Amino acid sequence: MIALVWLVPLLPLIGFLVNGLGRNVLSKGVLGFIGSAVVLGSFIISVLIFNELHSSPQAAHVIPLFDWIQAGNFKVPFSFQVDGLSAIMLLIITGIGFLIHVYSTGYMHYDAGFAKFFAYLNLFIFFMLLLVLGSNYVVMFIGWEGVGLCSYLLIGFWFTNSAYASAAKKAFVMNRIGDLGFLIAVFLIFTTFGSIEFTEVFSKADGPGIGAGMLTLITILLFVGATGKSAQVPLFTWLPDAMAGPTPVSALIHAATMVTAGIYMIARSNILFTLAPYTLDIVAVIGIVTALLAAAIAITQTDIKKVLAYSTVSQLGYMFLGLGVGAFTGSFFHVITHAFFKALLFLGAGSVIHGMSNEQDMRLMGGLRSKLPVTFWTMLAGTIAIAGLPPFSGFFSKDEILAHAYEHNKLLWVLGVIGAMLTSFYMFRMLFLTFSGKFRGTHEQEHHAHESPSSMTIPLVILAILSVAGGLLNVPEALGGSQWLHEFLSPVFAASTASAAHGEPMDHATEFMLMAISVGGALVSLVIAYFRYGKSGHVPAPDFGPRSFFAKLSYHKFYIDEFYDALIRKPLDAVSGFLFSVVDKTGIDGLVNGLGKGTVETSKGLRLLQTGNIGFYIFMMVIGILAILVYSFIKI
Amino acid sequence: MNALITISVLAVLVLYLGLYKANKALLPVTLLGLAVALFFTINHWNVFTGPTFNDMMSYDNFAVAFSGITITSTMLILLLSKGYFEKISDHVAEYYSIILFSLAGILVMVSYHNMTMLFIGIEIMSVSLYILAGIRKQDFASNEAALKYFLMGAFSTGFLLFGVALIYGAAHSFDLEAIKMHLETNLQTGQAISPLFYTGVVLMAVGMAFKVGAAPFHFWTPDVYEGSPSLITAFMSTVVKTAGFAAFLRLFATCFYPLHDFWMPVILVITIITLFAGNITALYQNNFKRMLAWSSISHAGYMLFAIVSLGSEASYGVFVYAIAYSAASIIAFAGLVLMQANTGSDSFDSFNGLGRKNPFLAFTLTVAMLSLAGIPLTAGFIGKFIMFSNALSSMHTWLVVLAVINAVISIFYYFRVIVAMYFKDAERAELEIPLNFKVVLAISVVATILIGIWPAFLPNVI
Repeated sequence: MIALVWLVPLLPLIGFLVNGLGRNVLSKGVLGFIGSAVVLGSFIISVLIFNELHSSPQAAHVIPLFDWIQAGNFKVPFSFQVDGLSAIMLLIITGIGFLIHVYSTGYMHYDAGFAKFFAYLNLFIFFMLLLVLGSNYVVMFIGWEGVGLCSYLLIGFWFTNSAYASAAKKAFVMNRIGDLGFLIAVFLIFTTFGSIEFTEVFSKADGPGIGAGMLTLITILLFVGATGKSAQVPLFTWLPDAMAGPTPVSALIHAATMVTAGIYMIARSNILFTLAPYTLDIVAVIGIVTALLAAAIAITQTDIKKVLAYSTVSQLGYMFLGLGVGAFTGSFFHVITHAFFKALLFLGAGSVIHGMSNEQDMRLMGGLRSKLPVTFWTMLAGTIAIAGLPPFSGFFSKDEILAHAYEHNKLLWVLGVIGAMLTSFYMFRMLFLTFSGKFRGTHEQEHHAHESPSSMTIPLVILAILSVAGGLLNVPEALGGSQWLHEFLSPVFAASTASAAHGEPMDHATEFMLMAISVGGALVSLVIAYFRYGKSGHVPAPDFGPRSFFAKLSYHKFYIDEFYDALIRKPLDAVSGFLFSVVDKTGIDGLVNGLGKGTVETSKGLRLLQTGNIGFYIFMMVIGILAILVYSFIKI
Repeated sequence: MNALITISVLAVLVLYLGLYKANKALLPVTLLGLAVALFFTINHWNVFTGPTFNDMMSYDNFAVAFSGITITSTMLILLLSKGYFEKISDHVAEYYSIILFSLAGILVMVSYHNMTMLFIGIEIMSVSLYILAGIRKQDFASNEAALKYFLMGAFSTGFLLFGVALIYGAAHSFDLEAIKMHLETNLQTGQAISPLFYTGVVLMAVGMAFKVGAAPFHFWTPDVYEGSPSLITAFMSTVVKTAGFAAFLRLFATCFYPLHDFWMPVILVITIITLFAGNITALYQNNFKRMLAWSSISHAGYMLFAIVSLGSEASYGVFVYAIAYSAASIIAFAGLVLMQANTGSDSFDSFNGLGRKNPFLAFTLTVAMLSLAGIPLTAGFIGKFIMFSNALSSMHTWLVVLAVINAVISIFYYFRVIVAMYFKDAERAELEIPLNFKVVLAISVVATILIGIWPAFLPNVI
């Protein structure tokens, strides 16, 4: 079955072509069915592949498909690599992808661009699979760019709204900045290692002749790529804006899959990063800064999707923190659990928005628990999971990252716990604002509010079960678990584990203490949120209402967009304006137009030679002949 | 040889058909005869064993290739002439007949192996053309064109003939192979080559440059092209020009090749002057037909590249370029004839709004203009590409730079047609396009695009 892995990306591609070409011909039912069925097909194959891999563990299967580029000693085979890492990613992408496709058949049912939506979604799945399956950096880069494109198309899905169109543009531009880093890293990898195949590069990484400086440079550039795609400081501002896209897109692309591509890429290249400890420190610092900054913004946001968006940025920060402190498995574990509960939360939010007739402002919600019971209970499960309360999945993954952080640097751990408390606070705040208290919307909305159709609630329930139970994948030894995920992924991270310096393993008492502190913190936040928003029914102030200094900072996202505007966009605009009005308009255009005018003037003059007088013509001919003859006599 | 005989007999046959007033049979018979001639020509493919007829003619692949292009182009142009000649003259049979005689001369021009045959071929072709240019007896412009063409043609023929005589005086032979041998032995043994020979070479170069319309011997071209009936102009600017280059190339690539260092700078200067004179003057024309005349001069400049940088690809380059240029020009002239017949005008403005009313014609004209300008995915690009790469491989970098500048200039006047057709609106009636025009346009467009995207379709034959 592993040899048939090419079918996994092929099916969504076929779905894209069928849905894209048949968008005006096929009915919505058929379109939705094809779109979901191809992803289900991929999921089934992925499960079979996973089983085979699980029963016969082997480091990596590389399946070559064809030679794509061959120029001199530069060779790019189009080949796929199947190992623990990519197999799990396949399951996440196709599994959650399938659920979100099913959900979308309900959510997008009344949208005019239904066919286009499914075509894009299938195309996204195709590129995402390419990204995780590629056995070299170039195929990965194709997928990387492809998902960026689909993300752009889907954020700007309702492009007639100019704010949405600029959100899409912003996402694209920010991603391009990161992509440039990635691209340069790939060039450097080729010049340094003479290959772009993962297996070859990684086996040479700690070999002779590879300078530490070069490795640091390559890994930093790779990380720049990751900050773009995975929305880390300083390139994170596109992700909250990306909420302009339809909610299933936010769930699939901007929570569960695409934004984790950066983590996947670093986990894939783990040996390079392990050999570049400076980069790992940078990764950890950027990760924790992002986690705290985004969490601090999330606590005052009033748009339900914005809260989730900042939460995603913050959780991605945790994953990078994990990578930075060498907890590759823990990080990847968080990718998995986060995919479950964040997809669930977004789909739940989508269900709320759907029920509220496209209202996203939590100040106008409240008391929805009785009207949307399934949504409430599933979202509650998701919230507990993300808040890190045991025994839900988020607890296990976050705890593993924090434990590694504690081993690495106590300060990082303290900051991580603060972040976890903030997480718990803003998530329960969102939950209470939305579902408890009195209804604050219009009368019509109240009358209309309804639970979503089963095509939307069934995915919610499945994801809720996964969010609750996902932690079982990697229960730590201290709690009597077997650390299954750790074992499964150990071939992928083997080289890093071997070369990283290992101190004493943490004793169980310390581990219990750390768990107790973070759980305690999360509970405290939960209680504060309950008293403020659940019991006393506090509602956040209007947009320009009175706020304390810090609340204002947080509510306005620390003015980062404005800061970028002033620091980067305005100077660029000024330079561009100068180049346009002075250099281009007068300089270049003047030169070009001058040349054109000059040529036309010459033409005007030269035309007059054509007098129509044969005598003159012959006279000119004779001059020509004389010149040639004179030349000949000189030459002979 | 069979092709030449077929065409000559066909010309006489057509005259008889005219005598017996079988006007309806003229075109079918002519086309059929040309098809037979084309068949005979292609039959000669790869069966060349050596010069024939006492070494007078040489039916090698070069001759076959250029006979093939010229016969095919003639067929396409004649296909356009249905009903055209009837309008301008009572003596329709004579038209066909004279064109066929001219074509017979052309076949001699592309297959000669002896200077006398070259001269005879050129004269058969030219004399026929003098008549064709002036065939509209009542039309002052047509008469003027014929007279100018004749006077200047006679003048240049003098140089050509004088050159042949001088070369005979130096080499004691008219045979191309013998002349080449004479040169090679003299160069090897270190014997001085007679100044007569050098003078003969430049005089022949002048004569040939006149025939292909290269500057500064191009002055006849715009006046004659404009004055002649449009289809005759089409014939002159495609078939005749192709034949002229075939003859020019055969003479200089085989016979005078040992003196390449001597005559190359002359041709190089002629090439550059031709490019600039053609392109820059074409810029300021407001008349489509006159623009095409100047553009044909500039294309002569590009084709001269093959002679400047004789290489293995030279013949192939001229072959591809001639096909590309002929196909595009035939489309352009077909459009011109339609435009003149319908609106009586041939200025750029008369093309305004054509894109909306006649999308097919506008599309074919666009393809033709793109091909003439050398835009990729058309045959014109491939032709220019082969010429330029050929020149680069013989180190004529500056020549290529100048040529590219000229190609850029040419885009201006070619695109004026496209701009007029698509971006300028005008109240106009839809042009009626007869079936024969549609066929010719379709064939030419398909050829242009096919060669543009799949150049290997034309094998490197020669």
